[in-house]
Order: sequence, then C-alpha cells, then structure tokens
Amino acid sequence: MSSGKPDLQGIWQAEGRIGYDLEPHVARHDMPAGLGIVEGGNLPYLAEALVRRQENFARRAEADPMSRCWLPSVPRVMLLDSPFQIFQTDQHVAMTFEWQQVWRLVYTTGEPSLYEGVESWMGHSRGHWEGDVLVVEVKDFNDRSWLDAAGNFHSAALQVTERYELVDSDTLRYEATLTDPAVFSRPFTLRALLQRQSGKPRVLENQCQAEKEEASGDFEPDARFWYPASIPAGNVPFDAAASSPPPLPAVGADVPRRADGKPDLSGYFMADAGGANYGLEGFQGRFLTPDARGVVKDPPDGRLPYQDWARGERSDRELPHRGYDDPTAHCFVAGIPRSLYVPSPFQILQTDSQVLFLHERMSWRQVALDRREHLPDVIRLWQGDSIGRWEGDTLVVETRNFNGKQWHNEVGDIVSHRQTLVETFTPVSATAVIYRATISDPIPYTRPWTIELPLNRMEDELLEVACLEDNNDLHHLKDVRDAWRAQQGR
Amino acid sequence: MKHAGLLFLAASLLCGRIEAHHSFSAEYDDKRPVTLSGKVTEMKWSNPHGWIYLDVVGADGKVTNWALETSAANGLIRRGWRKEDLPPGTELQVEGWQARNGAATANIRVVTLSDGRRLFAGTSNQNAQQEK
Repeated sequence: MSSGKPDLQGIWQAEGRIGYDLEPHVARHDMPAGLGIVEGGNLPYLAEALVRRQENFARRAEADPMSRCWLPSVPRVMLLDSPFQIFQTDQHVAMTFEWQQVWRLVYTTGEPSLYEGVESWMGHSRGHWEGDVLVVEVKDFNDRSWLDAAGNFHSAALQVTERYELVDSDTLRYEATLTDPAVFSRPFTLRALLQRQSGKPRVLENQCQAEKEEASGDFEPDARFWYPASIPAGNVPFDAAASSPPPLPAVGADVPRRADGKPDLSGYFMADAGGANYGLEGFQGRFLTPDARGVVKDPPDGRLPYQDWARGERSDRELPHRGYDDPTAHCFVAGIPRSLYVPSPFQILQTDSQVLFLHERMSWRQVALDRREHLPDVIRLWQGDSIGRWEGDTLVVETRNFNGKQWHNEVGDIVSHRQTLVETFTPVSATAVIYRATISDPIPYTRPWTIELPLNRMEDELLEVACLEDNNDLHHLKDVRDAWRAQQGR
Repeated sequence: MKHAGLLFLAASLLCGRIEAHHSFSAEYDDKRPVTLSGKVTEMKWSNPHGWIYLDVVGADGKVTNWALETSAANGLIRRGWRKEDLPPGTELQVEGWQARNGAATANIRVVTLSDGRRLFAGTSNQNAQQEK
C-alpha cells in the first residue's frame, strides 16, 4: 500500500470447517472431526459456564443463533466456511462477508468509537499496525451470540484482540485472543490460516433468511418479476430512447480529492431522501405514512412510466394486506437504489479499484472499477452486480444481475429482474454528492426513468442494525394478510 | 453523552427521524388511536424499531402489558440516550395507534417521561429527516 503497510486486500476464507467447533472433537452428524484451533486444546470454562455450554451443545440444532440466520460475533464470523473480502484504506479496513451480507468496519485512525459502551452483535472494532501485523481490538458485544456451532459461547464482557499477518501472498495468519471473565477462567488464543480465494471476481450473496423463507413459503415468489420472468406479450413496447434526464450538476471547486486527482467520495452519508422510501412520486402523507416530496426527475411530470397493468399492481401494494410482501419487512436486503434512501446512513470507502458501500442496515455493495464484464446472466443478486468508471469527476455505476425480488419502497414501486441501473455520483461541494439513478426495466415500465437526491456527508459512525433478530412486526403483517385472505375465501 | 442527549432531544422535536422498514399503515389502524400511561417493564433497544413494554392499569384495575413500537434504537443512541437512562419502572405516557389485529400492540408517536422530557420526537407521520 502507499502507506507502506502490508496490503491485505482480496477474497479470503478460513480453512475447511474450523469454525464448527473450536475444540478438538470427533465426527458428529452435523460436523466432521477436527483438531480444534484453541491454543492448549480446550476452552478454559468456569464451572457453571461449562454446564451451559453442554446444554447449548445438546440443543445446538435449534439454539445456535446462526441457525436462525442471526448475526455472528467476532471471531466466529472470521471462521465461517464461506468467503469474505478485505478492503483497505488509510483510515479503515472493511470486511464484507458472503453470509447474510454482513460487514465489519475497522477504524485505524486511532480515534475511539463515538459509541463506546453501546452493545451490538459484531462489537466495535479499532485497529492499529504493529510492524506488519494488523491488530484489531473488538469490544461492546451483546451476550446473544455463540463462538461456534457446537455451543461454545461468550458473555457481553467479551473482549477480542485479533492479529492479521500475511505469511505469503495467498495465506493470512489469523489469531484471536479472547478475554471474558464471566465465562472463562483466563484469556485464550485461537489460531487459524485464511486462504486467498484466487480467481473469484467478487464475493456473492448468501441471504440465509431469504432462502429459508422462500423454501418454507413464508416469502412467496412473484413470477411476473422474479428471474427469469419474460416481458408480457401485451406490454406497450419499451422506449429506451425516451430517457431525457436534465444535465448533471457542475462539480464543486472544493470537493475532496484523492492523490490520483479523482474525487474522494469516502465518508459517512445520509441521503436527503425526501420520503423516497414511502414513494418515489410525490404524495401527501396520510396517517402513519409520511409525505414524499417526489424524487423523479425524468419523466418531467414526476410520474413513473408504468405499464397499465403494473400501475394496478403498484396500487394494490399500498393496501394493508400487501404490507407483508415488502421484502424489507422480512429484514431482507433493500436492493439498489433503495439501500441509499432507506432512512439509515451508509459509509462509502474508496480504494484504487473499488468503491464500497456499507449500509447500516447490515448489507453491502461493492462497485468494481477494475472489471469490465458483469457476472454471468444466471447469477442473480439482491444488490445486483455493479461496475463503475469515472467520467470526468462523476462516478458512473452500471448495475445488473438483479433477482427481481426487491421493492423500490414500502408502497411497492416495482422492480423486476430485467432492471438495469445506471447511477451517477457527482460531488458538488465539500459535503454534498448529487446522486442520480436511471432505471431501465422493460417488464413494469414503458421507458427509462431517473430519480435524483442529494447525499450528505456527515461526521458520524455507523452503528449496527440487527433487523431480523428483533423483528416483532412480521407476524402482525402476516395476520393482516391472512385475515384478508380468509375474507376473500383464499 | 447526557448533555448531547438533551441537545439532540431539542432538535429531534423539530425533525423526527423514521426508521421504517415496513409499512406502518399496513400494520396499525388509524381508527384506533390510544393514549396510555404506565410503567416500563422492558425496553428493547432494537432496530429498525425499538420496543417498549408498558404495564398499564385499566379502569377495571386489570394490568395489561402493552408492546409499543418506536422508531429505531440507533436514532435514540445518536441523540445521546443510553439503556441505563430508561430502567424498568420508568413512568411514561404514550400516544399512538393500536395494531389492526386488535392485540395490545401500538405504534407510538409521542413518549413523555414523568419530568416532561420527550423520548422520541414523533415517528411515522413526519417526513424522514437526516439526523444532524
């Protein structure tokens, strides 16, 4: 790296299934035998904590928080049998995981967290370099997660010191020293090797909860929009040439820039979303739905160019019994562009080859600046596959490979898998970036359309949104839907 | 952080922040407004919505434990509030709307402590605003 620090960037994965049971163990129906990764063999439990560990072990199939797709803590997330990617800047080391789109953001600025003492599943991570070793201190965990799939657990008193060291270009030595006086009699250390996953263009997605609910029928497919739906025969032909958004704003003279001269988009951002999460078209708020000022720039009348049948579906989605169908009510990933205008902040990190978005609602999106080809057509993702380039001082991002399962907002503006998205990020001042998204989606719409909203850079830190873990709403929404279905005789 | 909390409290009265991840109007009934007073039995500092559980004594003397949905805990944390500020037993008055399914569940708009401080600044019927 230009900072002189080792470059840890790339896609990594722990060897084999070492995260199943940290201690040496024989084969079991749900895990292979293993030598364990605890220095000295077994974990130094306090007597009463060992009893709880044995209870956890016996009930592990249903009691393991990760079997419910809940967030893992550190170090468990580092030891999963699925890949993650490391991104590195002068101020941060970020990690994006395939599993449930979890991310970690390690601050290497030397500043303490603004939110010390606030508990979370993943804790607060602060890093520094000791020679060529990245050392990360993690604390402020809650007491709800386990250390592995075998029932080993920790308390909220857990503090973890991680050490990351390159052994060679394809091997990262990982050590974690855990101190948790409420559960263990002394600190102990785990050691593992992480292997570089060469030849993968990026980390994909494993939306554990969405997959589970699709399999159980709790989240129902919509064959009109989900991959591989076709364009309906009766559609008005899609007029791709009709797109006519106004010119982009001028780039500000005082925008922050990187050493290579390109604008620096990094930072903590909130969109001035104008209620886009409740309607892209402007409307007067009513009851518990707030006003939406309307963010549609093109067509000029501010109305989305729906096919007639799709406008009917959009209206239907506003009815109470359809609230259950909004994927974000299930805590699934919001998709793009919705992830930018849900009322939660996000962090942008920028490296030479990537622009990374970390959304507080625990999802991420990477924009590759060094790749020209999108993923194969059959690979379909909640956040799509994004490739970016600079046009002057505007970052232009093209995203495709959507799965069509998203809604654009909670009133149900429609997304199909055929959506292609071209976004522009134009910095106009030291703090503001004008964001535009032009969506071409020939299933529900008659022509492309464009939204615009400002993104405002602020001084703050991301917290964690563990949505699924405390989602009390979904069963109410399901009650409303089921009551409606019963009334309709369905 | 307490001082920061008071500052942000003032700001938050003007610009409520919503953290909706689902349609409130689908879940709650505009024909069932409720005003409740009682003691906190538990508060979940969860996201995108927090939950306050409140013991409310009815006219018949019977105690009902209401589940009250608030905006996100992260919004409260950014306003400087911490868990220890709202222990069980804290007396609150709340205004909101009951769930469509008729359960003792409500989305609450105004939460007032016995000393007059307001915990959240409006939730769902104001536009989403950036926080700072």
